[in-house]
Amino acid sequence: MKIIACYSNKGGVGKTATSVNLARAYAAAGHKVLLCDLDPQGASGFYLRVKPSKKLTDARFFEDVARFTKSIRASDFEGLDVLPANMTFRDFDVFLSRMRNTRSRLKKALISAGSDYEVIILDCPPNFSTLSENIFKAADQIVVPVIPTTLSERSFDQLVGFFDANKLSKKKLTAFFSMVQQRKTLHLETMDAMRKLYRKRFLHSSIPFAADIERMGQNRAPVSEFAPRSAASLAYQKLYNEMENGVVSKR
Amino acid sequence: MARVKNCFVIPGTFDEAGFTKSLKELALRFEAAQPAGNFDILDCHDQSLRASAKVLIQTDGSLFLLRGGRAETQRCKVKGKFVQDLPDGSVKAGLAGFPKLRALMSVGAGRAKHRSFAILGDLQKTQVRGTMMLMSSDQGQVTVVTVQHMRGYDRAYKTVCEKLTKLEGGKSKAKPLFDWLFPDATIYKAKPEIRVCKQEPSIEVATDIIRTYLAVARQNEAGVIHDIDTEFLHDYRVSLRRVRSVISLFKGVLSPEQTAALKREFSGLMEPTGRARDLDVYLLEKDSYFNLIPPNLHEGAVAMFVQFERERSQALGRLSRRFRTQSYDNQMKKLTKLFADPTNLQPGPNADRPAYEYARALIWKRYRKACKLARGITPNTPDESVHNLRIDCKKLRYLMEFFAPLFDAKAFKTIIKSLKKLQDNLGLFNDFSVQQEALLNFVKQHTNKQGRADAQLTLSVGGLISVLDQRQLAERDRVIASFKHFDSPDIRHLFRSLFHQKEG
Repeated sequence: MKIIACYSNKGGVGKTATSVNLARAYAAAGHKVLLCDLDPQGASGFYLRVKPSKKLTDARFFEDVARFTKSIRASDFEGLDVLPANMTFRDFDVFLSRMRNTRSRLKKALISAGSDYEVIILDCPPNFSTLSENIFKAADQIVVPVIPTTLSERSFDQLVGFFDANKLSKKKLTAFFSMVQQRKTLHLETMDAMRKLYRKRFLHSSIPFAADIERMGQNRAPVSEFAPRSAASLAYQKLYNEMENGVVSKR
Repeated sequence: MARVKNCFVIPGTFDEAGFTKSLKELALRFEAAQPAGNFDILDCHDQSLRASAKVLIQTDGSLFLLRGGRAETQRCKVKGKFVQDLPDGSVKAGLAGFPKLRALMSVGAGRAKHRSFAILGDLQKTQVRGTMMLMSSDQGQVTVVTVQHMRGYDRAYKTVCEKLTKLEGGKSKAKPLFDWLFPDATIYKAKPEIRVCKQEPSIEVATDIIRTYLAVARQNEAGVIHDIDTEFLHDYRVSLRRVRSVISLFKGVLSPEQTAALKREFSGLMEPTGRARDLDVYLLEKDSYFNLIPPNLHEGAVAMFVQFERERSQALGRLSRRFRTQSYDNQMKKLTKLFADPTNLQPGPNADRPAYEYARALIWKRYRKACKLARGITPNTPDESVHNLRIDCKKLRYLMEFFAPLFDAKAFKTIIKSLKKLQDNLGLFNDFSVQQEALLNFVKQHTNKQGRADAQLTLSVGGLISVLDQRQLAERDRVIASFKHFDSPDIRHLFRSLFHQKEG
């Protein structure tokens, strides 16, 4: 099982869009995927038409295996389930380690409920907190969308600094440029500079600034559903290919 | 809630509007219909799937198995003849226990139209998914709806299942899928129920049985001709054997002349089937033969089975040509007509004896004869007596089965069970002996004038014969043990009370 956290310490960079579209790409490739909406705003659940769960406000939620598995909802897409938002983060690290442990009650409950997830995608809230620290430890890969602007650059520097200061493995950090506008010189220059500075951290694939991604809110579906041939949809597919298979496509 | 598909069989076409209305806050959305294709309902000749309330449907590229309100689906391009030949999958797993010797064949066909649908909640979120298959035959229409539970949407699933159950028509109206589509189909039964009354004249009982089994035999002819599986020929032979045993065991029911003529006629019908059946048995037992001898003796056995296979296809070819001749058809039609009415027959002195009294006398006499013979069998008596005992037991069994409806079912079951055990041992004893003889004959046929035969072949056959002989000896001991049980005071008492005691 692989845990992918979609994280940024800056808001509005396309975390939720990335989580939803990546989750869809993994599921479409045949993986069993659980998308956990850890952002209290519940945006990824909204995109997938899954309502926030009322029951999930209890702090002891992660202790209670039955309640956890009960609140998982199937999305409209084969192989993609959603854990809706509204959860607190206490015991989150315990929860994730249990999910990995084959003999844990949580794992057993998931298997008996008919699913043994191969990929877990965490849509994380934008801050530094105990939750984010837990996520940094638990995740195999931390995907960080970065808008090529000065402020985002600063946020990414802070994130790397945080990893250094806390002696966390930076290898987990997988950044990519998000909401890129090719005609803005500032975007191109920032991308150039950051790729040089963090040579190993950035993926080749990037996600363009696209109206189709904004339209996810209207359509309440991943981009590939309502605009499968759009630049945005293709870009997410490329991002998935590079992340999962290390395939870098030209153009 | 387990994430299993659930399946509903709804008569006729699906009432979309009514269903949508009944769902209230949920909405029904269909995907585009797929082009219509053909379907076949698969089962074996005696419809053992149908009898166990299962339906196996083959459409272009897929197999569906409906059982107990659940549907299994498996992609399957090939047309598997036997269940064990199907590719692994949930359908094959669900067919476990299907008779290994029986082939799957189409027992009904028509057109099928598939559509997928989704049940949407508010936010247009899919809460239940499903498929619908409209099956149409010349005689009827039925819609098979399969729904899939989606995690976290138990309530919608429950609602949809409840509404679909209503459409099925409830317990009173629900019928198996096959009956909606093919209400007029005749169902083959290898052993149909034959009513017998205590006071019925014996000649009428005999005619009923013979007429019934002649019809059963005829229902197996097409399967032999098309070589669907080996059980057609087997059932054909069993039916004719039952006819023959009525003729020979119901002594004095027909005139001596007619009895003799019919005996000749039916052995004439059986005779051409014997060789093909023997070869079928050898070929079905092929693996067990190979297991009897060490691998270094297999070479000769391989050659032998190649020969058997060739001979089998020749024998079956001859038989199926015979079945297709006009003269055979005429002969069977003539016999069917003869046994259509007891008045067509020449009555013997026992023709009008009431069935119950006659049956008691026949069975009691046969039982005493078998027991007398069996009690005389010791380790030193020749095999011949054991063979005779087998034949007597067989006759006893046939008589008891023909007249079973006249007697207490529970007592009968006890006796038959113990008789069957004895017969199983006797059957094996006989098989081992017949097989040795056949093997010796086979070598004889493959020996040249100088008395030489292929070394590999003789090695294999020699190995087989010695093992078979050991087994035959062991089986003989078991025959004696089984007879002891059959001859126990309890069973003796049952026989006496059923067939010999004066009615109070």
